[in-house]
Amino acid sequence: MSLAPAPARLGADTPSARKEERTPQRRWPHRYIILTLLAAVLTLLPLIGSNYLLRYAILILQYVGLALSWNIISGYAGYVSFGHVAFFGLGAYTGAIVMRDLPGLPWPIAIGAGGLLCAAVAWPLGRILLSLRGPYFAIAMLGLAQVLRVIASAWQSFTGGGQGVSLPPQQNLSQVYWSMLFVAVAVLALTIKIDGSRFGLQLVAIREDEPAAEVLGVDTVRAKVHAFILSSIAPGVIGALYAWSISYIDPASAFRGHITITMITMTILGGAGTVWGPVIGAVTLSVVSEELWARSPEFYLATFGGIIMLIAMFLPRGVLPYLRHLARRHRRRAAPTGKREVVAPEKGTARA
Amino acid sequence: MEPLVLLQVIVGGLLLGGLYALAAAGLNLIFGVMRVINIAHGEFLMLGAYVAFYCWRATKLDPLIAVPVAMLVTGLLGLLVMRVVVRRVMRGTELTSLLATYGLSILLLNVSLYAFEGVFRSVPAWTGSIGFAGLTISRARGIAFVAAIILSLTVWLFLRYTTLGKAIRATAQHADVAMACGIDIQRVYLYTFALGAALAGAAGALLITFLSVNPSIGSTFILRAFAICVIGGLGSFPGALAGGLILGVAESLTALWTNTQIAEAVSYFLLIVVLLVRPQGLLSSTGVAGGAATSPAGTADAGERG
Repeated sequence: MSLAPAPARLGADTPSARKEERTPQRRWPHRYIILTLLAAVLTLLPLIGSNYLLRYAILILQYVGLALSWNIISGYAGYVSFGHVAFFGLGAYTGAIVMRDLPGLPWPIAIGAGGLLCAAVAWPLGRILLSLRGPYFAIAMLGLAQVLRVIASAWQSFTGGGQGVSLPPQQNLSQVYWSMLFVAVAVLALTIKIDGSRFGLQLVAIREDEPAAEVLGVDTVRAKVHAFILSSIAPGVIGALYAWSISYIDPASAFRGHITITMITMTILGGAGTVWGPVIGAVTLSVVSEELWARSPEFYLATFGGIIMLIAMFLPRGVLPYLRHLARRHRRRAAPTGKREVVAPEKGTARA
Repeated sequence: MEPLVLLQVIVGGLLLGGLYALAAAGLNLIFGVMRVINIAHGEFLMLGAYVAFYCWRATKLDPLIAVPVAMLVTGLLGLLVMRVVVRRVMRGTELTSLLATYGLSILLLNVSLYAFEGVFRSVPAWTGSIGFAGLTISRARGIAFVAAIILSLTVWLFLRYTTLGKAIRATAQHADVAMACGIDIQRVYLYTFALGAALAGAAGALLITFLSVNPSIGSTFILRAFAICVIGGLGSFPGALAGGLILGVAESLTALWTNTQIAEAVSYFLLIVVLLVRPQGLLSSTGVAGGAATSPAGTADAGERG
């Protein structure tokens, strides 16, 4: 078949294929021990950490989840959304209103309702909006967030209008923390599953050349809509968790544009369309932004804007792919040709 | 509803629409020629408004004189942005330039919030109203409308009859062929971007005479300007004028029948409806002078998929 080489070439461009080039020697020898330790620390944090640390960790996990979600539709499928806060806000309002009107219900149901409603909204919405390409989709999402904010302020009787929704104060931060950890890990697992899977390759094909992907038999509408739904659920759940932990939301805080800005910056800083890029970006920028908040809150967002601009100008693929590129070049230079041939047979076996 | 009230609202909407059209014209021009959607366009508009405000506060300078000053300031800023930022990202995908200008818009917005503070400002230079055929028209809105239309016409004539204008249109139609004909397209891009930014500045300087402005108005105007371009057909200059007037009237009527908050969302609904129903725009660019008689490739693409 003359078509056969094309998918192979596409595959070679994907992050997972690049990962396979990493040789066993390059991996940390004790990574399982380290990962287990990390998991233990993360799980037990509420028992050892202070309240401040817990709030801080919740914030970081929140952004890890948001950045990873944005990454699915915008990083893998290449449909950049400038209004993903729409789902965060929708989830926040759903969770808060369910808790307000049905106080007897167990909390996980109210939180889950946030994610469920987002998925239910994302399905028809995706079918409409994803027929718009590139900038049209980006701006349509920007507008969606604004429209939802307008609705939240105008629909007095249901959303409380500008006064927002108040909930009983949150006493149990540990519960919020564990839920947030669960969501972040779930989205990470989802991303690992997508990356390199058939579905993931379809998304990357759409990103690189949609008409070509369609010609090769990818059901692009289906793949895009599925990616959109998957990227909407976690923001909804996280929004509901946010409302639950803060116990008060109003249109301005639930649909704050800077939440979108933050998840975009984190993802493209780390590397859009990779598994670990958004995680690295979210953790790094959360720490940086905490410092920035403390020192000069007025330049906090301006710095984020500058970062987005500079990355688009100089590192459009993000930091992680760039570092990998550097590492590969370094290895090629360092290793004499003979050694490289020893390494080569290991290709493809290192897939986690 | 009394017909006179309705007429009054429609006229008010048309006057506002003239300003919207001017705000969208620059965005449209830049997109038509360079295929770059400048998300920071709204911030250029906001900066133009602040130039007029500071001129007024310092010297009581008439806004009509402040308009060229605002155009100069935002135009120069446009030159700088083009040279430093946009030139680098133009070769990349459409999304790279989108992200870069998005970052720029956040940067400009937050620096402005710090420099100008978040309070609403206005320039009450032209107060009072004019009676006209039984209708009352706010003087500021009337003057601003006339100025906006004159400015739009001037740009249209410039694009149509001057050498540089023709070079801009040629580049919009086909950059490679234009280059082969000896047009320095990099220079054309530079001037186009500066002109687009200057138009946004002019719109801002006129708007602030009847609308209170704070640094965050940029984001609402980028959505409006984009909706106008899509309604009229991206890249079509007369289309932007029609789109502006349509949006102005639609917003005013919605504000009359519901409330001003919902009126803010009108541009969005118009945008989505037009994109889905008629993606090439209501006045598809049929080769009238405009910055760009291009076949809007992007919109056509969107159409196939829709």
